[in-house]
Amino acid sequence: MTTGTATGVDSFGLTDVGRVRSNNEDHFVIATLSKSVALEHTSIESREAFDRMRGSSARLFIVADGVGGRPGGELASGTAVESLVQYISQTVGCFNSADVDKENEFLIQLEGAVQRAHERIQEELGAGGHGPSTTLTMATLIGSRAYIVHVGDSRAYYLHSGRLRQLTDDQTMGRYMVDAGAWTEDQAARAGVGANLTSALGGSEMLPRIGLVDLAPGDTLLLCSDGLTKHVADEQIAAILGRGEGAEATATALVRAALDGGGSDNVTVIVARVSE
Amino acid sequence: MVGVFGVGKTCLVQQFVHSIFSAKYHSTVGVKIDRKAVSLDGTDATLLLWDLAGRDGVEDITVSYLRGSHAILYVVDGTRKETCQQIFELRDIVRSAIGDVPSAVALNKADLASEWLLDAGDERKFADVGWHALRTSAKSGEGVEQAFSWLAREAIAAGEKPS
Repeated sequence: MTTGTATGVDSFGLTDVGRVRSNNEDHFVIATLSKSVALEHTSIESREAFDRMRGSSARLFIVADGVGGRPGGELASGTAVESLVQYISQTVGCFNSADVDKENEFLIQLEGAVQRAHERIQEELGAGGHGPSTTLTMATLIGSRAYIVHVGDSRAYYLHSGRLRQLTDDQTMGRYMVDAGAWTEDQAARAGVGANLTSALGGSEMLPRIGLVDLAPGDTLLLCSDGLTKHVADEQIAAILGRGEGAEATATALVRAALDGGGSDNVTVIVARVSE
Repeated sequence: MVGVFGVGKTCLVQQFVHSIFSAKYHSTVGVKIDRKAVSLDGTDATLLLWDLAGRDGVEDITVSYLRGSHAILYVVDGTRKETCQQIFELRDIVRSAIGDVPSAVALNKADLASEWLLDAGDERKFADVGWHALRTSAKSGEGVEQAFSWLAREAIAAGEKPS
């Protein structure tokens, strides 16, 4: 577990092996990526540009769930997290949230970082989608804007004004068939292959989806593996997030709810709450 | 892309970028971003498409998402006449936030001919404010490529004008 409070965001991550499995294939990270300018001496009269850089930082939140039933799921999720922290730390340094023109470039670089992590998993752990793979849900928070990159069925939610919204769409066979109009929600839930991933890092298909959301004071961001959502309905998640407790207490309550609900899978959550 | 909820903004992007159509409605939260490389009149360009959450009666569009836009595709549901009027309200919000940028309006769901409620008068209103309006169907693909390509050409041309 880890905790952190910086630039008005109280965050906490927690992972648990669950009640059934013997090993935990989930990984998570919370990191602060800083770029700082310590101005010593300058001939430039306006110090505005330097002031903008002072204390500039991004928060990085990642949840990755190694695909079970295959050897090395834990390695795949760990490799994804390590790779992304490395690549994103190089990328984010060139992006200032005040620079609109750089934002689209930054988005492309985020997608590129995920692509590189995908290739690294394939190179190191098995090529062609026959080795281990992993889901990924990543949020990079710069200022009040959260950039979300998503692959697989780990999820991102956010709570705004008491309303819980899911920011990601599961990339599973069940979701695909429902969207195509071929299955009902019930059929997707009952089908054995419904939970199979249609997109994963290290897998044969990897289709990252990118989005963003601007967070307001009091908003809460939640990243989680499906070990949470298998056992805890959205209404219960909303109720726990809506209590307004700190990030650590909230994360602990979410994991507890998943374990109480059966704990059939590894469960991982990151809670990030923007200060009021 | 701007419009009220359920007019088909996300479906238009999915048709344009991935050539797929989903009948299942998913409301967009925040912004979904897709990318497509295109070649327009010999010019290669990469379009970054920002699909904004629609105004849904609870929350209005978030003005900060409009920052940096080079063009706006407004989307109207041709089977919901009220979305025509609502788009002019959204236009005022957009213009006050980012000024005038190349804009077009997609009159979407053209495949639902029997439910189509827009008439020539509605379409004339768009022409009156200088919008390029064209019928689209995210389901059949009708007009989709043309809408995005027209807007991309306008954005490129606007970017090339001396300031």
